[in-house]
This record gives sequence, structure tokens and C-alpha cells, in this order.
Amino acid sequence: VSGGWAEELFEDAPCGYVTAALDGTILRVNRTLEALLDRPRGELVGRRFQELLTVGGRIYHETHYAPLLAMAGTAREIAVDLVRGDGATVPALITSVVQGDVVRTIVFEAADRRRYEQELVRARDRERAIAGELQRGLLRGELPRDPALDVGVAYLPAVSGLEIGGDWYDAFWLDERRVGLVVGDVVGRGIAAGTTMGELRSAVRALASTGLAPGALLEALDGYARRHGVGAMTTLAVGELDLATGRLALACAGHPPPAIVQPGAPPAFDWGGRSTPLDAAPASGARPQIELALEPGATVVFFTDGVFERVDRPLHTGLDHLLELVDRHRALPAGELAEAVTHDALAGRRTTDDVCLLALRWTG
Amino acid sequence: MPATTRHNVQQHGLADGAPMVFSHGFGCDQNMWRHVWPAFAQDHRVILFDHLGHGGSDRAAFDPERYATLEGYAADVLEICHELDLRDVVFVGHSVSAMIGGLAAAAEPDRFARLVMIGPSARYIDDADGGYTGGFTAGDIDGLLASLESNYLGWSSTMAPVIMGNEDRPELGTELTNTFCATDPAIAHHFARVTFLSDNRADLARVPTRSLVLQCAADVIAPTAVGEYVHAHLPDSELVMMAATGHCPNLSAPAETIAAIRSFLSS
Repeated sequence: VSGGWAEELFEDAPCGYVTAALDGTILRVNRTLEALLDRPRGELVGRRFQELLTVGGRIYHETHYAPLLAMAGTAREIAVDLVRGDGATVPALITSVVQGDVVRTIVFEAADRRRYEQELVRARDRERAIAGELQRGLLRGELPRDPALDVGVAYLPAVSGLEIGGDWYDAFWLDERRVGLVVGDVVGRGIAAGTTMGELRSAVRALASTGLAPGALLEALDGYARRHGVGAMTTLAVGELDLATGRLALACAGHPPPAIVQPGAPPAFDWGGRSTPLDAAPASGARPQIELALEPGATVVFFTDGVFERVDRPLHTGLDHLLELVDRHRALPAGELAEAVTHDALAGRRTTDDVCLLALRWTG
Repeated sequence: MPATTRHNVQQHGLADGAPMVFSHGFGCDQNMWRHVWPAFAQDHRVILFDHLGHGGSDRAAFDPERYATLEGYAADVLEICHELDLRDVVFVGHSVSAMIGGLAAAAEPDRFARLVMIGPSARYIDDADGGYTGGFTAGDIDGLLASLESNYLGWSSTMAPVIMGNEDRPELGTELTNTFCATDPAIAHHFARVTFLSDNRADLARVPTRSLVLQCAADVIAPTAVGEYVHAHLPDSELVMMAATGHCPNLSAPAETIAAIRSFLSS
């Protein structure tokens, strides 16, 4: 093989070549790189390779690329922008290997690929925006406002993937003195769980408007779930509060019990009025409900299991901890209480489950 | 979860030796110290850890609010020191971790004996009104974030198998996959913003600990003027100009780095 043949291969290869010292000082480049950068080699040799990058790329080079090369001896398919002689930038992919006391780098122009990546990123951002809009639509509705009532919610969809959750909350007027309260949890997450949640939420609202009490409402909803094959194993808690008397009727379909905070007493879970999740086998018979007499100033906290369930501790520990947090923040207005309890319960953990908490205070 | 687990704390050297905590900078994890810490294991208790979101840390514990400023990272350093009951700590921080160590020492001065700052910066972005040159503009930092975005597209699917396939040095493959592919892109993005938009100039005066500023030549992240600024504003520091170039002398010039730290510790 003659020197001329190898020389030609080096100079006119279909990619740019750079040979540099370990600190990046360029020792040799090929003709393809000169053309790509629109700079003669006299301007390139003796400079450091990182000086050919945009400033952001230089930071990336120093914090990621150089350490990777130093530790692994190779770095592949790194995306950079190179600065041309005329100041324009060229998107490129570079791959480097350390050989003895030099670094050999090949440079591919990657303008089309970069445009495609940017389209992917835009598509991802758009998807997230759609998911957020869908979520907000599914949970649409003003919370009831009344001098005798303070309602607040905290809602965090699971962070991974599309931000659509299967958890829901609802609070709505049944008539001029009674308010319906719902917190539920559809199995799974993502679009399917979100649309199921929206359907069940609407069904609960429609059934509640017919005057069904919480237990009877759950029976009717169970029938709906079976007939239409929707929302099997969904859990939910339904409450009906009479603002004139403080009477609270409650029914829970497989859902964690609400925490009740009567004035002057420690918070406690109410384990009454319980039945199985929707469309569970075997089928629930009659769905019981209980009635509580709230004292003026009492607080009720409905929530989903994302608030207390963690892989690193037993369930009852999480529930006990939740009661402590409710106690700690019991003096706060409902909205702040919901935020504070949720914040402390997660203790900075990003959860892979949805988190939903609804707090209401009956002021009497 | 204890901080030692959350931060993948690894200990080496003398159990009853003077504690020496090594803290990595943006972009890497405790592997950055691989050529440096062994030199101190003979006469120190060496403590290595990963900042949250990096290396073997517990990524689920990341809270954007807690880590919205470098103080959140400094609080982690202090938590580790408390849990291990470390006193008279020699803290060695690279890059942004130099300032994180400064903040930790300002918060609990009694806990730290010496501070080693490798390539520190008190503020990365220029401040024309304050007559300060950090080396970067806000637009440069946007460029970095775009660069991160573009490269993390490839990390997970491309980098891992490539590096894992490095069969003649398999131990490297595992480490590097952990370092570069397990770093949560969202957290890296967040840490980059917090790091490069931070302004800790006013905090330097609050660091009473005797400090060493190690300044490399041709460091684009922390130019010499920045290292000189940090040295001038720390109440008790010395500045050592290194022959090493770039921003990572702990990787590119470990012998010179070790010698500078040793000389500082024995002074």
C-alpha cells in the first residue's frame, strides 16, 4: 500500500478526522474537516478541539465528554455543534478513542438527524401538554364554596410517562344544603385509566343527582361498572355532608378510610361503611354506609393510597404516619392542609403512583 | 432512608483516621475520584458519595424544591457528616462541589478542618454591573441545556451497550454505565440549571475554614480569573496554579492533584 493511497483515504474520507493530544490540542486534521468547518488547517492545528464547539458544547465537553474519555478511553456518538469559520454552527456527531497519547476523533455532519431529534422533543412536549390538558378536563369543576364549608385538594399524577392519573376527586352541590364528596382510584394509569376515571366521575355525579345516598350510589355504580365493563377493581369513597347539621353519610368501596378530626380529639380513621371495590368477584351484596355527626370545626380527609403507600415500609406504618401528619397540620385551612400533608407524606419522594387528597372542614 | 444509603456512601482507609470527604461535580459521580482517593487511604478515613440523581444515589428521593439551590446539596453533605459523626473533616470538592463544601462549612464551621476546592466558581455567568467575569452568558447556559437534551437522547439506548461491550475492562463498563446512563436526564438538567445559574459570591466571606483553591490552566468552566476571585474573597485560603489543563485534574493529572492536596494538608 502506497503512502499516497493512505493519504488520500485520510484526507478525503467521508467524515472529518482529528488527531489531538490528550488535552485536546489538535495535531492533525483532514481535508473533509477543513471543508466542513470552512477553516484551513492552519487555523485548526495547535488549537484545542473544544474551542471548535459552541460554549454550551464546551461545558458539556469538560463535564461529560473529557471525563468519559479519561475513564473509558472511548466516547461514542456524542452530539455537538461545531463553529464554522463564518460563525455558523454545524450539528455533528463525534466519536473518539484514546490511543496511547493521542485522541482520535471522527466527525459526522448530522443536520438531518438533529432536526429529527428536535421534532421528537417537540412531539414529546406536545404530548405532555395534551396529557395535562386532558387531565385538567377530566377533573373539571369548581369546588363548592359556602360559609359553612372549606374544601381543598392536592393532586399529583404519577411522574413517569404521560402525566395522566387514574385518581380523582370531586365535590359538588347535591341541593342547596348538601354537598357530595368523592375520592377514587382507578386501576392503572395513563390514557386508559384517565378516560375510565372520567367516565366513572361523570357516572357518580349523574347517580348522585338522582338522590341516591352513598351506599345506594355505590350499588348503582357497581351495576354500571358490570354492565359496561368499565372500571373493575376501582376503589372509591363517597360522602354526603349536610351543611345545616354536620351529618356526614359515608360509604367506601375498597378505598382507604377517611381520617376524621373532631375538635379536641386526635385524628382517627373511620373503618365503617365498607364494601369491596367496584365489579370485584365475588360481587358485593348491599353496600353499607355509616353516618357520622361532625362537630363544628371538624375536618375530614379523603385520600388515595399514593399518599401513604411506599415500598420501603409496611402499610400500617404509612397510615399511622398519615394520621400524625393530619394532626400536625389540623389547624391549617383545608387547601393548605391538603398541600402540607401531601408534601410531608411524600417527604420529597417522587412517587410512581398518583396522589390525591381532599380535605374538608365543616365550620358549622 | 439514611443519607448514607441515599447517597451510596463508600468508605475506605483507616476507620479511625482523619475523615476526608470527596464530593464530585456536575456530570459525574464518585468514580471521578478513583485515581485520587487511594493515595489518602493509608492515613485517612476516606468517604465517597454520589449527589442525588447521580451514580448509585436514590433517584426517587430527588425533590426539585429542596435542590433548587446549592444549599440543598450542602444540606446532604452535612447530613452525611452527622450520620457518620464526622468531625474535623477535610472536604475535597470538585467543580460545583467546591462551593457546596463552602456552603456546608459556612453552615457548620466547627465540623470542617480544611476545604480543598478544585476548579471552584462563585458564579458562572458574567455580571457586567458587578464588574465580575464568570466566563459565560445566560445564552451559553441555554446552549448547555440543549446539548444535554440532545445527548441524553442517546445515552440510554446507545451508550450503555457500547460501554458494556468493553470486554477487556469490564469493571469500567459497569461503572460507566452507572455513571452516565443511570444519571436521570431530568435531574441532570435541573442540576445544570442550579449550578450554572448560581451566584455564591456573597457566601465566600462566610467560609471561615482554611481552604485550598486548585486552579487548572485553560479551564473553560472555571477560568483563572474566577479561581483568583474565589481565593481573594475567601477569608483564609491559598491558591495553587496547576500545570494540568482542563477542568478535571482529578482525572487528567491525579499525581499533581494529590501532591497539591498533601502539601496543603501538611502545612
